[in-house]
Amino acid sequence: MTASFEPICEKCEELIQPYLDRELSEAERLEAEGHLAGCGYCSERYRFEASLRQYVRQACCQEEMSPELKAKLASLRTPLDD
Amino acid sequence: MAEAETEARRLATEARDRVRFEEEVLALADQVYRVARRLVSSREEAEDLVQETYARAFRSWRSYTPGTNLRAWLMRILTNLNIDRGRRQQRAPDMQPMEEGDYFLYNRLEETSGPAAEERIVERLSQDSIVEALASVPHDFRDAIVLVDIGDFSYQEAAQILDVPIGTVMSRLHRGRRILKGELAEAAVGEES
Repeated sequence: MTASFEPICEKCEELIQPYLDRELSEAERLEAEGHLAGCGYCSERYRFEASLRQYVRQACCQEEMSPELKAKLASLRTPLDD
Repeated sequence: MAEAETEARRLATEARDRVRFEEEVLALADQVYRVARRLVSSREEAEDLVQETYARAFRSWRSYTPGTNLRAWLMRILTNLNIDRGRRQQRAPDMQPMEEGDYFLYNRLEETSGPAAEERIVERLSQDSIVEALASVPHDFRDAIVLVDIGDFSYQEAAQILDVPIGTVMSRLHRGRRILKGELAEAAVGEES
C-alpha cells in the first residue's frame, strides 16, 4: 500500500461501474448521482473512470475496416439466381 | 395452378426478406469489425473472423427471428467462431491482490508526473499501451470488456452473446477492468523509467 493512498469509499465499487455502464435502475441512478454530488473521493474517481473509458474506446476503435473487406463481405451474399 | 402461384409468392417473399436481412447485416459490418479486432490479436485474424461470421450469418439467416436484436445475434456467431477456432490464448489471470483498491491506476499516473485534472490524467497513457494492455487481458475478461465498452452492449446482451449468466458478465467486467488497469499502471511505470 502506498503512502499517498486514500481510504476507499465503499460506495465507489458498488456504484461507479454500473453507473457508467448505464445499468442502474432509476432509483439507483438517483442515489448514485446524489452520492457523487456529495463525495469528493467518488466524484474525482468518477471523472477519472469516465475519461479512461472514453480513452480506451478511442484508442481501440481507431482502425477502420478496409474497403476490400467490406467489398468481400458484400460478395458473400447469396446470389439472387431465381 | 393455384399451388404454383402460392409457391411463387412464397419464394418472392422469402427472397425479399433475405435481401433485407443481408442489407441490415452488412450495415453492421463496421461495428462487428471493431469488436472482432479487439477479440483477436492481429488485423488479419480479425478480417478472417469477420468474413467467417458473415459467411455463416448469410447461410443461417433463417435462424434469425426478425425484430430481435440482430447485432447481438451476429456477435454471438462471432464469439462462438472465435472460440471454435481456438484462437484464444489462455493465460492465467494475474491474481495479485489489488490492495490499493480500484484507484491504483489513477494513483500511479498521478505519481509519475504530478497531479492534474482527472479528465486529463489518462492522456499520460499512450494509445498503443492501451491497445497492448487490452490485448493482454485474458480472453474471458476481455470478451466482456470488448462487448460492453467497445460494442456498447448491455450486461444482458453480453450475457446472451457469451451464453453466461448476467452475474458472470458483471464479475468478468469488474475483474477484467481491474486487470486492464493493472496492465496500464505497469505500462505507465515502464514508460516513465
